[in-house]
Amino acid sequence: MFSKKMFLIVGVIILITVNVILLSFSSKSQSTFGLGRVGLSLVSPFQELVTRSIRFARDIWEHYFSLVSVAHENENLKKSLNQFVAKSNQWHEIDLANARLRNLLNFQKAPTNKVVAAEVIGKDPSGWFKTIIIDKGKSDGLKKGLSVVLPAGIVGQVIETTSHYSKVMLVIDRNSAVDALVQRSRARGIIKGESADQCRFEFVLRKHDVQIGDTVIASGLDGVYPKGLRIGRVADISQRNADIFYEIAVAPFVDYEKLEEVLVIIPPQTPEVSR
Amino acid sequence: MRYGFYIGICLFLLIIQTAIFPYIPVMRGMYDLLIPFVIFISICLPIRESLPFALVLGLIMDNLSGSPFGFYLTFYFWLFMGVRFIIKFLRVSNKFFLSVVVIVAALVENILMIAIFAFLGPVRQLPINAFPVITQQFLWVLAAGPIFLLSLLALAKRLNIQWDGAAPPPNAYG
Repeated sequence: MFSKKMFLIVGVIILITVNVILLSFSSKSQSTFGLGRVGLSLVSPFQELVTRSIRFARDIWEHYFSLVSVAHENENLKKSLNQFVAKSNQWHEIDLANARLRNLLNFQKAPTNKVVAAEVIGKDPSGWFKTIIIDKGKSDGLKKGLSVVLPAGIVGQVIETTSHYSKVMLVIDRNSAVDALVQRSRARGIIKGESADQCRFEFVLRKHDVQIGDTVIASGLDGVYPKGLRIGRVADISQRNADIFYEIAVAPFVDYEKLEEVLVIIPPQTPEVSR
Repeated sequence: MRYGFYIGICLFLLIIQTAIFPYIPVMRGMYDLLIPFVIFISICLPIRESLPFALVLGLIMDNLSGSPFGFYLTFYFWLFMGVRFIIKFLRVSNKFFLSVVVIVAALVENILMIAIFAFLGPVRQLPINAFPVITQQFLWVLAAGPIFLLSLLALAKRLNIQWDGAAPPPNAYG
């Protein structure tokens, strides 16, 4: 009744439909159906070997063949260090005063987070997405959802872990969203990834005061990134007449093209409250 | 020997795409280097060997990339099946044909990715950098895609890899 060709055509149509449905589901939910660790476990050891070899060769070059500029750079760094030592002392004084005042008001001391340093061993092979592979995993205390930072600012979030390696989605990735606020005016919005050197700061109401040059920090309200971590600087603001929100471009503080080491913040485990 | 060659090539391509090219500014816009390899195995290997290989490669790429899980698995599967379908009607020894297949496959991959962004993603919007990314990848695949595929075939011939796939042996390509 039905020819072999007809069965083949129907089979192909069904297969394409199933493909589209599965891709639609996985693109919205970031789910890997439990198979997300296979490639990481297989390939990451080789990535780590190659990356370390390249860095070793580069370090030899920089240490032994680039000494000409080192002396000049050393002088500049010493001057910067002296300035920062002075500032650090001022901040230490402010920190002590803060602790005294909090003590007076009976504020409980927030538990400190544990920080694990990790090396970047690989990057996303596709030009469309911004993820990195780091050389720390479950055996080091990492799990999905942890924040990854640098002293300069936020880097991203752990989205997949194996025993010894993890995949991190950068803040500049299209699927990334960070609850943030303007440090000066406390205007709140969502930072969304756009490209290597720019993020969008969305849902910032036009009634708030936002200026070019303002620093944007994490609000801590998304439960992922600790409050106060720097994200970027407002680079451009535009307002469409019919919109209640600004269109804000933010230039990240972190240079994502040159990531080599990152820090993963592991929050303290909160004790269960017995009823 | 043959399986060691395939696994070695796969690892080499994965490592240079993830651990070397991202650190070289001019190479950051490189197309997916596994496309010529999937075409190569679909032409030269029997389906019982090459299809699982293509699927495993797709799974690994899905794991290493931030793309929706299943994208590379799906794409490599349909690329594999598409090439095996086409070679029933066209002469595989035609170098121009092989060059066109590589270029078209790279373009289709990018178009599919944009379609996912535009219709299936959480934010239904074209990426702001879509045009530069596609242009860079297209120029790279024009310049290097066919050369890479033909080099794979020549290398396999030099290593005397025995074929029992769907296509004529490599000496047919000259």
